[in-house]
Amino acid sequence: MSSFERVGDGYSLDLTLDEALILINLVEQLLELLGEGDFFHHYDSSDPLAQLLTMPSEIVMPDDPVLLRLLPNAYTDPEAASDFRRYTEPQLRGSKQKNLRLVREELTILVDENHGGVIEELDSGVWLKALNDLRIALSVRLEISENSFEKFELLGEDDPQKPIYAVYFWLGWLQENLLGLLQ
Amino acid sequence: MTETLIKDEVSIHELLDRPWITIVWDDPVNLMTYVTHVFIELFGFSKERAHELMMQVHNEGRAVVSTGTREEMERDVQRLHEHGLWATLQRDDKI
Repeated sequence: MSSFERVGDGYSLDLTLDEALILINLVEQLLELLGEGDFFHHYDSSDPLAQLLTMPSEIVMPDDPVLLRLLPNAYTDPEAASDFRRYTEPQLRGSKQKNLRLVREELTILVDENHGGVIEELDSGVWLKALNDLRIALSVRLEISENSFEKFELLGEDDPQKPIYAVYFWLGWLQENLLGLLQ
Repeated sequence: MTETLIKDEVSIHELLDRPWITIVWDDPVNLMTYVTHVFIELFGFSKERAHELMMQVHNEGRAVVSTGTREEMERDVQRLHEHGLWATLQRDDKI
């Protein structure tokens, strides 16, 4: 099983090709959901100029439950929440996109060369946040609750949800593994 | 009437004095070790204090992690959201 390792002052991650493919698949789906589209923006979404054409008034609470969990309301009061969102959501979205893009860049090297390998000198903070956002996204789709691990173990081998649960718990294991090294 | 007016003055005074708080809510996804890690990183808590607050979130469903001005709490909530924690801010409801 792949794992993070401490190398000198830094961290590395050893992945098989299959694992790299699973990760890049999820990372790219989440980037798409966060609104990256299929082109690379050369501006930072927190740049005031970035709001010239996408006016802040157009930013509303997302309908998609995954997006709503990743970009949650900051206030329980709907009006205050919507005001806050209008001015801060681009920055929050941007910070999540930035982490995912960095992770994608590192995974792309393995995937393009079509073999597993070691990602060296990775940014542990970026990886922790990206893994967490991927877990959150999957958890909403799987409707994860406190007793989901028991539910997973009871699923039949041919249940279509089984592999998705397996990926979700694997991501948690990876994140726990990296956190253990940071202690 | 007079009494009510006095009470109103007091409550306005108290209202203005009341600080804002940042609340972190429990969710079944974030790992306990991760939540503790984020508390240490964002607020500079000791390992013990961070662990205690994480347990409070886990057991009671929520915990107040910071107190201050509205602007400060908005910044804290934003940073917690960047780390994937579920947080909101509000005026402290304790008088």
